[in-house]
Amino acid sequence: MIRFDHVSLTYADALKSRAPVLRDVNLSIPEGELCLVIGRTGSGKTTLLRAINGLVPHFSGGTLSGRVVVNGRDTKDHRPRDLADVVGFVGQDPLSGFVTDTVEDELAYGMESLGLPPDVMRRRVEETLDLLGLAELRNRPLTDLSAGQQQRVAIGSVLTTHPRVLVLDEPTSALDPLAAEEVLATMQRLVHDLGLTVVLAEHRLERVVQYADRVVLVPGDGRPVRDGPPTSIMQDSPIAPPVVELGRVVGWRPLPLSVRDARRRADPVRAQLAGLEAPARPSAHGAAGNEAEALSPVALTEQLVAGYNNVPVLKGISTSLRPGEVVALMGRNGSGKSTLLKTLVGMKRPTSGQIRVDGRAPATLRPSQLLRHVGLVPQVPADLLYAHTVALECEQADRDAAVSAGTTLGIFERLSPDVPAGQHPRDLSEGQRLTLALAIILAARPALVLLDEPTRGLDYTAKHRLVEILHDLAREGRCVVLATHDVELVAEVASRVLVIADGELVADGPTADIVVSSPAFAPQVAKILSPQRWLTPTDVATALAEVTEVTQL
Amino acid sequence: MKATHLIPLRGRSSLALGTVSVIGLAAFGWPFLTDPGSALDSSHAGDAPLLFVAILPLLAAIVLAELTSGEMDAKSVAMLGMLSAVGGALRALGPGTAGLEPSFAIIVVGGRVFGRGFGFVLGALTIFSGALITGGVGPWLPFQMMAAGWLGFFAGCLPRATGRMEILWLAGYASISALLFGLVMNLWFWPFASYGPETSFVPGDPFAANLFRYGVFYLTTSLIWDLGRAVISLLVIGLAGSALLRALRRASRRAAFDAPVVFER
Repeated sequence: MIRFDHVSLTYADALKSRAPVLRDVNLSIPEGELCLVIGRTGSGKTTLLRAINGLVPHFSGGTLSGRVVVNGRDTKDHRPRDLADVVGFVGQDPLSGFVTDTVEDELAYGMESLGLPPDVMRRRVEETLDLLGLAELRNRPLTDLSAGQQQRVAIGSVLTTHPRVLVLDEPTSALDPLAAEEVLATMQRLVHDLGLTVVLAEHRLERVVQYADRVVLVPGDGRPVRDGPPTSIMQDSPIAPPVVELGRVVGWRPLPLSVRDARRRADPVRAQLAGLEAPARPSAHGAAGNEAEALSPVALTEQLVAGYNNVPVLKGISTSLRPGEVVALMGRNGSGKSTLLKTLVGMKRPTSGQIRVDGRAPATLRPSQLLRHVGLVPQVPADLLYAHTVALECEQADRDAAVSAGTTLGIFERLSPDVPAGQHPRDLSEGQRLTLALAIILAARPALVLLDEPTRGLDYTAKHRLVEILHDLAREGRCVVLATHDVELVAEVASRVLVIADGELVADGPTADIVVSSPAFAPQVAKILSPQRWLTPTDVATALAEVTEVTQL
Repeated sequence: MKATHLIPLRGRSSLALGTVSVIGLAAFGWPFLTDPGSALDSSHAGDAPLLFVAILPLLAAIVLAELTSGEMDAKSVAMLGMLSAVGGALRALGPGTAGLEPSFAIIVVGGRVFGRGFGFVLGALTIFSGALITGGVGPWLPFQMMAAGWLGFFAGCLPRATGRMEILWLAGYASISALLFGLVMNLWFWPFASYGPETSFVPGDPFAANLFRYGVFYLTTSLIWDLGRAVISLLVIGLAGSALLRALRRASRRAAFDAPVVFER
C-alpha cells in the first residue's frame, strides 16, 4: 500500500550542510496494517508521515531522493491534492485544520472539494457521523466541542472521502489523557472494522503499542530508520512504555506489550520480590516519614469552599502541603482539580473556609507579591508567553520578578539546554514551551509550584526531563503540586496523592497506598505486580539487582 | 529585509500589468490630456470617457488573471485570500466612520513582505472583497482596484531597510499614498459632474486651468477625508507595523514559500 524506496529528504535550509532529515529509508506497509511511528520530537517522524501524501516536499520544499509510492501513485507525479482520495491526513491540533464552522459542514468539506455528487455526500456524512459517534453533535459549532470530540471530527472529515490510508501525526498530543483515550479507541475501531491502513505517530505508547502490527523507529540525527514487529523493535528502543521496560528488566522474551501479557507471566517475579520492601518516596527534604510532619506547611486549607456563584466546585477541602513534597492531584475532569489550583494561586477567592499559602491569603496579595509565594504553569503554557523571542520573554520575567537580568534565561537553559534564545516561543516544541513557562514561574523563587496537566504533548525524553526537574525542585525544599491524569508520571514523581471527586477530598496519602489497588490510578507496573507495592520499572530493577547480589554472596 | 516574491512578475504578466496600467493612467488622467478638437473633446464629453468606465473592469480582470495564472501554489493563494479578507473586512470601517481605512496598512505591509506582484493583486482584491462586504460595488470599483493595486505594487518597490527605518518608510509611504489615492480617485467622476465654475472640469480648457480648478476642488472637498485616511494609516503602521511585519515574515518562513521542490532519483 505504502512503499518507501531509498528515500532521503533534505530541507532547503539544510541544503548547504547536506544534513538530511531522513536518510535512505526503505519501508513497505501492506494494506490493513496499523503502523506505529515512534521517535523523539524533532527526529523526523512528521517528515516521514508527510512524505506519504506528498506534503513533503510539495508543500514544505526540500529535496527528496528515492521514491514514495502510495497505492501505485508516485508522489513525484502526484501532488497532495491528487492523493486526497487515497490518503487522509490528521494533524496535532484539530482546530487549526478546520475550515468550516459546524460538524456537518466540516465532514462534507473534503467531499465538496473533490466534487462528489450531493446524494453521495449526504449518505457519507450520515455514515461517518454514526461511525465516529458524532450523531448528537451534528449541528454543533466546532468551537463548542471538547478537544477529544474535535479530534474525532477531524478524523471524520478525512474519512468521508473514503481514503484507503489514514495518517495521523500525534493526534493526541494536544489533548488531555481522557480525550486522548477517546481518540485512540476510535482509531483502533477503524483499523478493525474498516480495514483501513493506519500510520500513526504517537507518544502514549502504553495505549497503542499492543495494537500495532508494525513499529517504525525514527531515531533522528540521520541515523537509519528501523521497522519491524513491535516485540522486536521494543527490545532495544530508546522509547518504551513501562510494561516493556519491566519486561526488559526481568528478561521476558518475547516482550510483553500489554498488562495482560505481562501479568500472566509475572508469578515468578512476584515470588522473587515477595520479601522485599518497595522503596518509599522521599516526602520532605529527601527524608521519609516523620521529619516531614515537623516542617511547617507551605500551604494550608481548612474547610475550603470555592467555585462559581451559588455553585460550589470545592466543597470543604482540608489539607496541608509541606516543603519538599511532590503532590499529585487526581480525579476526573470537572472534579475540582483546576479550581483548587486556581484558589491556591489566588485567581479565585474562597467562598468560605481558610486558605493560607506561605502564611498569607493568596487572593489578597498583589500579583507582584504573589509570584514570590506561588506560581502556576497553566495547562496550555503558551498562555503565559507573549513576547516574540525566548530572550525577550525571559527579560520580561526578570523585570516582573525584580531579579537580576539573565536569571530566567539561566534557569531556562538549565531546564532546556540548546534552545536558541532568538527563537519564537510558538516555534518551540511542547516540552520546551513547558520548561520556558516553568522557568518564568521559578524566576521569582516561589515556595509553591503548581502545574496543571504538565505532560500534555510531551514525548518520553521531555517527560523524563520533567521528572528530574520536579525531583530537583522538591529537593530544594519547594512544594510541587501537579494536577494530572497521567498515572505513569504520578508513579515516577509523586510522593503523595490527593484524589478529588465532586469537590471533596476522597483520598489522601502516600502514592503507593493510593494507586496500587486502584483500577483507575494504578500505573502499569503496579497492575502487573499488585498486590505488591511496586510503581516503576526502575524500582523493580534496583530491587532485583539487590536480590541477585544477595544470592550470589 | 528582502521580500519573498509570491507572485513573480515575468514577461507576459509584466507586459499585461504595464499595458493595463498605462490605460488606467489614461482613464484617470484624460481630463488633463485632451486637446481641443480631439475625440475626447467637448462634443463627446458626455459619452466617450465613459468608455473607460466600461473597459476598466475587463482590464482589471485580465491583469489579475494574468498575474495569478500558473505560478501560484496553494500556500500563496491561502496567504492572498487571508490578507485580502482581513483587509476587505477592515474596509467595513471605511464609509460613514469618518473614512477610517486601516486596510491600507494591510495592503502596504503585504506588498512589502511578499513583493510587488503580490502587492498589486492584494490591493485590488482587498478593495474588491471590501466592496462586496460593504455593498460598495459600482462604476468606481475598477478605478479603486487599480489605484489600490498600485498602492500595493509600489509598497513592494520601497528600498531595503530594517527595524525602525523600515517602519518609518512604510508609515511615510502609506500616509502619502493615502492622500494620493484620494487625489487620483476623485478623477473618475470629477469631469462628469458640475460643482460651480471655480471647481468644475471645463472641456477643452488648457491643462493648467483644469489642473488649478481640480486643485481647488480637491482642497475644498475630499482632502479632509484623505487626511483622516493618511493619519490612520500612519498610526496603524506606526503602532502595529513591526508586529504585522514579524507575523507575516514568520508565516512566510514557516510556509517555506521560496524553498524549491526537487525530486532526485
